[in-house]
Amino acid sequence: MSFESPLFWPAYVKEDVLYVLDETLVPSKLKYIPVKNVKGAVAVIREMKTRAFGQFLVVLNTFLLELNPKGDLLKHLQDVAHQLNNSRPTFPFAEVTGIIIGSASKAAAGGGDVRMTVIKTVQGFLAGIRARRLQRVQEIADAMKDGDSILTHCNVSGELAMAASLAVAQGKHVKFYATETRPYMQGAKLTVWELHQAKASVTLVADNAVASLMAEGLVNKVIIGSDRSAANGDIANKIGSYQIAILAREFGIPLIVLTQPSKGVARGADMPIEIRDGSEFLVFNGKNVFGPKVRGFYPGFDVVPYELITKAIAINAGL
Amino acid sequence: MPDFKSKSIYLFQGILSAESFKKLKLSKQDHAFVSEGRPSLEAGRVTSAILLKQGITPTVISDNMAGFLFFKGLVKQVNLACQYADENGALCDTGALILAVLAKKHKVPVKLLIAERRHRFVGDPESILSFEGTRIASKGTHGYVPLVEWVPAKYLKE
Repeated sequence: MSFESPLFWPAYVKEDVLYVLDETLVPSKLKYIPVKNVKGAVAVIREMKTRAFGQFLVVLNTFLLELNPKGDLLKHLQDVAHQLNNSRPTFPFAEVTGIIIGSASKAAAGGGDVRMTVIKTVQGFLAGIRARRLQRVQEIADAMKDGDSILTHCNVSGELAMAASLAVAQGKHVKFYATETRPYMQGAKLTVWELHQAKASVTLVADNAVASLMAEGLVNKVIIGSDRSAANGDIANKIGSYQIAILAREFGIPLIVLTQPSKGVARGADMPIEIRDGSEFLVFNGKNVFGPKVRGFYPGFDVVPYELITKAIAINAGL
Repeated sequence: MPDFKSKSIYLFQGILSAESFKKLKLSKQDHAFVSEGRPSLEAGRVTSAILLKQGITPTVISDNMAGFLFFKGLVKQVNLACQYADENGALCDTGALILAVLAKKHKVPVKLLIAERRHRFVGDPESILSFEGTRIASKGTHGYVPLVEWVPAKYLKE
């Protein structure tokens, strides 16, 4: 039995409430935030209570919370989509909401039941995505070879941990190095925790130690996720991915990226990169870490050009 | 993007000695990027304090953001904290090799500055498990903290 991390499926609907795992509290607490409407959904996305695949789940499930407006349902759903699309810039929210609005519009135009269409579309889509993610986990596990020492960055929403548990079960000896992933430290909080849970061997390193690991021959493979893909194969992922990709190429180490292909934008340069408030980076536990006169700069993502990617393990998310 | 007027500015990395700043021509600089230097953050704090004394506004970045700055053409020169150098390369504070490789790729000059002397080459593995005294990583996590790394000369030649 392979290990399924709570991060693999971090949001679910129960009795008209969407429960979203607060990833900022993991690993000390597994707490789910109740979300009752699109306003709450936008808040958990903006405040980064959830991220990566969690955002995808929140977006789709939010439509299930907004099916009983006073006025026209299709217009209301279009407004819901608009609010979600403007929550954060880099993740392709419009491509995800477009799937639901497309189905709803088609049903409305044909005189069909918009409400039921949305429910069926969301549920069918989620079931399909789950199956395809499990399939991708198998592919990731297959890419892990006995003796591998794998560097990873940020967190890939449960897939790496599940693949690691499969690899361990297959008798492969695989080690991991996880970057801390400042400033939110998803590597330190999430990745090492779930790899541990999956009974995998993992060592935490600072983001500045990546070249040391590669130069010393301590890693022979890099596996990272991606938040967005461009039509030419460029990807956007957590800040730090670009320099890891450059180093991997420099040291002859294969870079494997988990992708969700999309033709929404032509190339990486066309993807909007979120620049978050520098104070998020400078302040920790209410204290300014570097002093009051120092500024902070916090780009949330960077772009990895397709030329630097050795292998993409893709999942068709219908984008 | 940061609101400095220059197209690109200096990037500092490592725990630099105050002495080393005297050799830099900083008079035309009003802003500079400073890499924070996990786990201790000493690099970010020490360099920022020295820059502020010279009237230069430091913008601190986390150690994984340098690639973005190079990609956007925001780095004019990289200034690395160096423990020792010879014709084969330089022993620098960890993080220098990332910046040297990026600098070569993006054709940005690299300057070696005198670092505060290290008395250890590998740090306490526990130090990366916490941030400012607060435990971050789950119980049982192993850490690895290289404090210095060798930067081959091929990445240091302009």
